[in-house]
Amino acid sequence: MRRKKTLEDWILDSFITIILLIIVFVTLYPFYYILIITLNDGADTAIGGMYLWPRAFTLDNYIYFFEDTKWLNAFVVTFLRTIIGTLLGVLFTSMVAYGLAKRDLMFRKFYFIVVIVAMNFSGGLIAYYVILRSLGLINTFGVYVIPSMLNIFFLLIAISFFREIPDELAESARMDGAGEFRILLKIILPISLPLMATMSLFMGSGQWNSWLDSAYFVQSEELRTLTYRMMQVINQSQMPAGDSQSLASMSKATVTPFSVQATAMVVSIVPILCVYPFLQKYFVKGMMLGSVKG
Amino acid sequence: MGSGPKLKRFQTGNPVYEEKEQSGQLVKRFQKQLPFHILVGLGMLFLLIFSYSPMFGIIIAFKEYKISTGIEGIFTSSWVGFYHFKTLFNDYNFPTLVRNTLVISILKVIFTFPIPIIFAIMLNEVKHEFFKRFVQTASYLPHFISWVVVTGIAYAFFSTGYGIFNDLLLSLHIIDEPWDVLTNSDSFWGLAVMTAIWKEAGWWTIIFLAALAGIDPSLYEAAEMDGAGRIKKIVHVTLPGIKGASVVVLILSIGNMLGGGLVGSNFEQTMLLGNSLNNDTSQIIQTYAFKVGLAQGRFSFATAIDLMQSVISVTLIFTSNYIAKKVAGTGLF
Repeated sequence: MRRKKTLEDWILDSFITIILLIIVFVTLYPFYYILIITLNDGADTAIGGMYLWPRAFTLDNYIYFFEDTKWLNAFVVTFLRTIIGTLLGVLFTSMVAYGLAKRDLMFRKFYFIVVIVAMNFSGGLIAYYVILRSLGLINTFGVYVIPSMLNIFFLLIAISFFREIPDELAESARMDGAGEFRILLKIILPISLPLMATMSLFMGSGQWNSWLDSAYFVQSEELRTLTYRMMQVINQSQMPAGDSQSLASMSKATVTPFSVQATAMVVSIVPILCVYPFLQKYFVKGMMLGSVKG
Repeated sequence: MGSGPKLKRFQTGNPVYEEKEQSGQLVKRFQKQLPFHILVGLGMLFLLIFSYSPMFGIIIAFKEYKISTGIEGIFTSSWVGFYHFKTLFNDYNFPTLVRNTLVISILKVIFTFPIPIIFAIMLNEVKHEFFKRFVQTASYLPHFISWVVVTGIAYAFFSTGYGIFNDLLLSLHIIDEPWDVLTNSDSFWGLAVMTAIWKEAGWWTIIFLAALAGIDPSLYEAAEMDGAGRIKKIVHVTLPGIKGASVVVLILSIGNMLGGGLVGSNFEQTMLLGNSLNNDTSQIIQTYAFKVGLAQGRFSFATAIDLMQSVISVTLIFTSNYIAKKVAGTGLF
């Protein structure tokens, strides 16, 4: 800073620093609180009064979680839908975007109207359900990954991204006789890393976090996702005074429904925590691009 | 359309040749672009199936549709006109649903709109790069977490049995008996707004930080020359500098008001934080449609509710955009 700090600067800086520290605390403490619950004896947690560190340290919750077939199966389903759903979504969305990004494409206007109308209007959940049912997608793994293949928000972002890429790159490959799909896979996608990273992050976290489709479009117990199982525990504890009662009846056990649910929460947060900070500069750019486009 | 080439034929001396070449060129151009049209066509087919056919399915709101009749049933079922809409308006739940939807939506717009702006301005004043980045990264985290997990965290915090919230308030003697935040109609609105802010306020600073970064630095230097302090600079340079972005975000959040404003979380919150004990303040139009539709199998009735909400939403989007254009000179379209 060039000029000397005035009294106003001191006051403003301290005020802002304090407020921001409070915001960080309010944001991060709940995660820490959940973490210490999972590392504590479930019955001991139920007594209450544990804020700072595990009181009766144990890994039982994690052992229980990964040994219970119901939770483990939910974890595997969630993992698979995230990988497959993200892959399909990124690939299909960039494919369509690549087509639409083509300079002087015929019927461009028509194509864009179709996209914009689809973005702004929807038939509502019920009509959507009827369609899914008629397509035979209800109660299949496909309902997780197929309807989310085309993301219109990212379609528009991808189009404007691909337009920035000089045409010569694709043209030289075309000379060598490469097909458009090949050009997309071998040339366009590899140099669109920021876009790929942003799309993967958002589609991936969307898949990972989704619970509504698992709750309403699927009945088979083998297809339930992690978030659905967590929701089930929440619903059970919503019975009047249910949480304290069910915990009391299990007071001998070191693992309670609540402590397992907390474990599931940590298991579902950790992958996100490991990924998003490293993609920050990409998604910040992507968000800005998206907001300019509306 | 048809008269175009004919007229041309009159004007140019060489009509037949030109027309032939034109259409030939078009076909050639299309053939050359064929791979691109195939890629785009696949996308169009996808939208036709997953976006347009549900839109068409809206007609069941005016019919007596049975799910067992499948897709043909949409066309073959009998018309009942506005019967389902009348049922909705006479439904004893209806006034409560409308009230809850409006109150939650308006509260969210009022509270979730200014907080990211204030937060972004504060971040903008931080000169220490590492601290700034740390605060930003931390505040983005809740955005990537599922509402289910957020609800789980809320349960851990507010539970009357072992939650830290009641523990703390009781031991500080602020309250005398446990305050049941989760299963209480009086606290649902506050709970919904607070959790929405906690989850998304940090995220929406991205937009405003981008707008702040776009302010011309010479404006700050000029203000400094005039002897303006930091607070004066915030008021006279920073705030006017993000006016445009604020208007756009405000339109977006009013347009999506019934969905939950910026954070768009009304549906998920009611589904997850709502329960039989806070039903009379948590139930909203959208969740009601969902429940009567999928749980009770009244598909036509539920679609009628969906349709009504969509009409209100679309009206809100266009009205807020129109007003913004008149007042601030900027709109979305």
